[in-house]
Amino acid sequence: MSGSEVGRGARVLLPLAVALVLCAVWEVAVRMTHSHGLLPSPTGVVESGAILTSSGVIVEAMSGSLKRVLIGFAIGGALGIPTGLAIGTVPALDRAFRPVLDGLRSIAPIAWIPMAILWLGVRGDAALFVVAYAAVFPFIVNASLAARLVDRRLVAAARALGAGPWTVVRTVLLPGSIPMLFTGARIALAFAWASIIAAELAIGIKIAGQGRSVAGIGQLMVETLYVRRDVDALVFYMLVIGAVSFLIDAGLRRLQRWMLPWSDR
Amino acid sequence: MNPIVELKHVGKVYVSARDGEAIEALANIDFTIRRGEFLTVVGPSGCGKSTLLSLIAGFNAPTSGDVLFQGHPITAPGPERGVMFQDYALFPWRTVAGNIEFGPQARGVDAAHTRERVRKLIEMVGLRGFEHRYPHELSGGMRQRCALARMLANDPTMWLMDEPLAAVDLQTRIILQDELLRMWGDGIGTAGDRPTVVFVTHGIDEAVLLADRVLVLGRRPGRIKEVVDVALPRPRTALRNGPEVARLTAQVWELIHDEAVQAINEEAPL
Repeated sequence: MSGSEVGRGARVLLPLAVALVLCAVWEVAVRMTHSHGLLPSPTGVVESGAILTSSGVIVEAMSGSLKRVLIGFAIGGALGIPTGLAIGTVPALDRAFRPVLDGLRSIAPIAWIPMAILWLGVRGDAALFVVAYAAVFPFIVNASLAARLVDRRLVAAARALGAGPWTVVRTVLLPGSIPMLFTGARIALAFAWASIIAAELAIGIKIAGQGRSVAGIGQLMVETLYVRRDVDALVFYMLVIGAVSFLIDAGLRRLQRWMLPWSDR
Repeated sequence: MNPIVELKHVGKVYVSARDGEAIEALANIDFTIRRGEFLTVVGPSGCGKSTLLSLIAGFNAPTSGDVLFQGHPITAPGPERGVMFQDYALFPWRTVAGNIEFGPQARGVDAAHTRERVRKLIEMVGLRGFEHRYPHELSGGMRQRCALARMLANDPTMWLMDEPLAAVDLQTRIILQDELLRMWGDGIGTAGDRPTVVFVTHGIDEAVLLADRVLVLGRRPGRIKEVVDVALPRPRTALRNGPEVARLTAQVWELIHDEAVQAINEEAPL
């Protein structure tokens, strides 16, 4: 009992102590070299963070980006899940479409940014396009795999119990695919986050050049870099981006456990 | 004698998905299953026992010959032919009650009627208190009972059972054999009142104990070797350790032995 107490303390307190010591060393190093401004410092990050939070700038930028991520993610799911389930169920569709899909999938989403800007302009639709593009392929890959991996004996069981083809799809193929669809959704969301930042950074440069207002975290970073030159704020953005990614993934895992009480995990 | 299933010169050839090689699973099966009988099917591995069952279930079509159910060719699975699978094939995302109600729901039986039927079945197979558990939360014996209740929910005239007791331990198996016989109607009424059972097993003693007739298959290709009549009184439970069952078990084993040894040798890794 006391062993596990010590164990728990070591698990939480030891890494925390290491992190605090590293921050302290960092802070001291920056102060001693008088390089704050060029290098960020922990106290500077906290100060900038407090200002950006109280002024609402970070919240506005994050909600702008998050909105685009969620819309792009939803578009990716709406296109990717039916496509994946269809090619995973019908072998002829798989043979016909897989090479094209694999080819498109090989193109990094951010490579589409110039084309997206050309077609959709710099307002945010271009970033949305890139995000949807990034999200759709994890959905397709995992949905097709999910449909293929559904236990065929369960399909046989359903048919023997009197289920017709559509009932089999609704009551066996769909529920049987859901765990892997969740996996697809988690990967899709991670990809979507990674590309929204890249897309906004690329688009943001143009906006900053034209002196337009910022709309997402990527644009805010560009503006901070070129206009305000606040390195502490840049680090704060990075921390927020990491925290939001972590929270989204944790939320999806929770949702999965809540929605799928029948799976062992 | 009242036939329910007729197998007429049935042959089944599979083409292996891996190397395209043709495998003759069944050859010239000519056999009639009687209404209300308990038929068990035994044979060495590779004799096509499960293939035979899936032809009657309607999952596969024969390559040659005809499989008739009540005089009509079988073209698809149907709820009048209930199937119980080796590993039960319960829907993992449905609870015990959800699995049992699947058949009536799929057939569009009204909800109130289904609910009452499910309640009775749960009672009958001894799963009360476990209605809302998921399959992964159940023991092997409970899963087996759930699968049985799911099959019974459609009131099938035939029970097609593919090694339904293979995955449980010996004590559980004995208990479940007795329950199965009881639910089938062992020693009650006449054959016309009872469902027809086709029960595939590799337990020869089990095959003898349960059956009216034991269909003994040979291998490569699967064919009928002999049909052994088990002319013992019912109910059978009392005869479990009796000399008649032991004698017939030995007789059936004698029929299978050589090919079973052969099967083991051929399946040895290269």
